[in-house]
Amino acid sequence: MRKKELKLVVTFHTTADAMAMEKACKEYQVPGRIIPVPRAISAGCGLSWCAALDDREQIVSMMRRAGIEEEAMHECMV
Amino acid sequence: MNLSDSKKKLALAGVICGLVAACLAFLGNPANMAFCIACFIRDTAGALGMHQAEVVQYARPEIIGLVLGAFIISVGTKEYRSTGGSSPMIRFVLGMIIVIGSLVFLGCPLRMIIRMSAGDLNAWVALIGFILGVATGVFALKKGFSLGRAHAVNRVGGTMLPVIMVGILILALCSSVLKASETGPGSMHAPLIASLVGGLVFGAVAQKSRMCFAGSIRDVILMKNFDLFSVIAGLFVVMLVFNLATGRFVVGFDTPGIIAHSNHLWNILGMYTVGFAATLAGGCPLRQLILAGQGSSDSAVTVMGMFVGAALCHTLGIAASGTAMNAETQEIVAGAVPPHGKVACIVCIIVCFVIAFTNKRDEAK
Repeated sequence: MRKKELKLVVTFHTTADAMAMEKACKEYQVPGRIIPVPRAISAGCGLSWCAALDDREQIVSMMRRAGIEEEAMHECMV
Repeated sequence: MNLSDSKKKLALAGVICGLVAACLAFLGNPANMAFCIACFIRDTAGALGMHQAEVVQYARPEIIGLVLGAFIISVGTKEYRSTGGSSPMIRFVLGMIIVIGSLVFLGCPLRMIIRMSAGDLNAWVALIGFILGVATGVFALKKGFSLGRAHAVNRVGGTMLPVIMVGILILALCSSVLKASETGPGSMHAPLIASLVGGLVFGAVAQKSRMCFAGSIRDVILMKNFDLFSVIAGLFVVMLVFNLATGRFVVGFDTPGIIAHSNHLWNILGMYTVGFAATLAGGCPLRQLILAGQGSSDSAVTVMGMFVGAALCHTLGIAASGTAMNAETQEIVAGAVPPHGKVACIVCIIVCFVIAFTNKRDEAK
């Protein structure tokens, strides 16, 4: 079983925002992957973006450029 | 207990829900309808007089229990969030579509899994349609489909559906105003208290595990993530063991007495409609009840759409009939989807496509 690590998890207001994030990250070559929102964060069933903690600044900057608004940014074991 | 931090625990959540469904089937719920959201909403709509089909009228305590179970546990664990305002009328229509598709197939995704576990090959055929429907919804999501964000609303707003459920429960317990079938599926049910407790447990576990039939397929297609799928697998295994142990496992198509039909095209299209609409609405019929219980007014509106859709199915002759044995001639009479049902199903699919490709993220902001 894969060992869980502390990661940066970005949540969004809508699933469409998460999909837009995935597209933008591919376009700007920003690291990370799309995952279901971890249960520890929410009882909802949306999607979130998961990346290494070190990538935070790069991700925030890219989101500003692409016009994607986050709901929240969490650090949690994934 | 955390039911969501590993696939094994998620599968355990499915096992618990499977045991609840098996117990209710053993205690009197209709064969292979042990726990069906669409059928039970249709029965409850009938009990409220929203349709006049005398064989499917009974205020199912399971529906009440599901909403209240999710409500109680979300309040208890501080996960209750009163939200709303995400395209409510579109969600109402999607709720109607979900139930119309379900009643063309004769069951929601939960019952499809239960029927699959009993060897009903019609349900395995319908699974093809359900997966294709969810895949179409995922395609729309990738193309930017959005119903807009939900906002925090007055805390009391999210309690409306749980309060309505309490009202129905009080009417069922303290009055004779609700209609109740004397024959047919509506007359077959577990004792009220068992159904209510079963619903409460199922609702609480479904809230903790985020059980969702459309969501599980969506996550597999989108991310190759099998977390939600493991919940469904757990439920399937328990029901399979129950059916094998009690002699209810019969492999076949034209099986009388299980409330199913063998119109393959319409089994596929019925569940295609459900999978597509549920992905657009953000959850299967069960998930809509759970989300409504934990405070989502958007899901509560979807549930209201499901009630109206169920009533329309029996008022306008849309619902399919199940294969049955003629008591006098002992001949098998094949179940079928009526012409109105076929037209309604096609219209629902067209409406899903219009909703899916005209509601874009850029406009929803």
